[in-house]
Amino acid sequence: MKVNEVPQDGRILESSGVRDLCYATDENGDYKQVISVGWDAKIVALDFTWESIYQECEEIKKEVLSGDKSPLAYHLHRLVMTPEILSDYSGFSKREIKRWCRAKHFNKLSGEQLSRLASALRISVEQLTSLD
Amino acid sequence: MQLDFIHKPSGHCENGVVSNLLRYYGVEMSEAMVFGLGSGLFFAHMPFIRLHGMAVTSFRPLPGDIFSRVLSLLNIKIKRYKFRDRDRSMRVLDSLLERGIPVGMLVGVYHLPYFPREYRFHFNAHNICVTGKEGDVYTVSDPVVVDKCTLTYDELKVVRFASGTYPPKGRMYHIADVSSKRGVTKDAIRRAILKNCNSMLNIPIPMFGVKGIRFLAGRMRKWERRMGSKRAALNLAQIIRMNEEIGTGGAGFRFIYAAFLQEAAVLMNNPRLRELSAQMTTAGDMWREFSYNAARLIKKRDVEPLTYDQLADKLIAISQKEEAIFRELANICRL
Repeated sequence: MKVNEVPQDGRILESSGVRDLCYATDENGDYKQVISVGWDAKIVALDFTWESIYQECEEIKKEVLSGDKSPLAYHLHRLVMTPEILSDYSGFSKREIKRWCRAKHFNKLSGEQLSRLASALRISVEQLTSLD
Repeated sequence: MQLDFIHKPSGHCENGVVSNLLRYYGVEMSEAMVFGLGSGLFFAHMPFIRLHGMAVTSFRPLPGDIFSRVLSLLNIKIKRYKFRDRDRSMRVLDSLLERGIPVGMLVGVYHLPYFPREYRFHFNAHNICVTGKEGDVYTVSDPVVVDKCTLTYDELKVVRFASGTYPPKGRMYHIADVSSKRGVTKDAIRRAILKNCNSMLNIPIPMFGVKGIRFLAGRMRKWERRMGSKRAALNLAQIIRMNEEIGTGGAGFRFIYAAFLQEAAVLMNNPRLRELSAQMTTAGDMWREFSYNAARLIKKRDVEPLTYDQLADKLIAISQKEEAIFRELANICRL
């Protein structure tokens, strides 16, 4: 990659302090550091990943509204969590969390259990029991 | 309390932390040199480790390896920690800071507040360096951020004990003793290059090194048949993200290694290394071209985008290129 070929496709990084430091060769073939604000190919990959996560979320949403799955299932997916990771953060077992992804089990949760789940997901209890 | 720590951003997080730490102790060393001495170039495709339900592709050795390798070549003593008790890990950190020691550590990026939202996956191999504490707020030198930033006590505790694939478990490291340090010798560079050749060429498991690239190519050919086009595209997107994303870049690593070979050519007085550096640049460009085409396949931008088979062919070409480079490097560096 030449110095003048370093991509500067902003959008994601621009608003933060994070930058890509790239190494590129100048006209003599010597390596120089160039700061980049991103590259299209990378943005496509990120966008595609998030889009498919949101699509799957919409499908889960439908199942929640039909009364099969619980809002917990929706939030787990929206926050790219897995039952394993949430079990680590909350101290509940993986099995319990998978169970609570079904509405009929989720509805029996006590207030204290809900607040523990919500704080592990870093959202409020109101959010956890709704579909925001 | 703030340590007099100069923060310089870098291409890869671990190199950056090591190079910044060394500077604090009066050893000036470029990021590329750190990367090269740490034998940081690697490839691994491991279907048995999963990240977001997909096989992990890694372009680096295990976090912490670069640090240990570089400092053992320089004969500098280091100390590494791992904790079970979260509060204790923070107490140890505080007491080190009070003694005037900057501390590098491993964190997960999912809860890092200064990261853009789009980047916040459960990726747990990011390195930062804590360089000061003011009340409840830690000053952090993160090599992918232009300036120093801050994290509160609670934020730092959460990211140090992030959960998911390869949990950091409060891992941290610092330089303990520089009294017997030596400079970068020709022999150190030679050994570091040989070590890198070894990990790219000679690991007798098909998932690692240049064999790993071929292994990935072979699996990629079957993706569409095995899991349908949507899932295949997701896997491909994960490869691009691993290949190009901050701190893990595969193509980027080739360029950093090429920069190291250039420096090495001067220090070792061997113009052949400079030629190989140019070859390595070509390999990096091939990785970039791979990512570029893969992104087009995902977006279906062209009327006829490349197929998975054609992408796999590109990977095979890359593996042949890199194998040739490392074989030659091994020949040069073997006594």
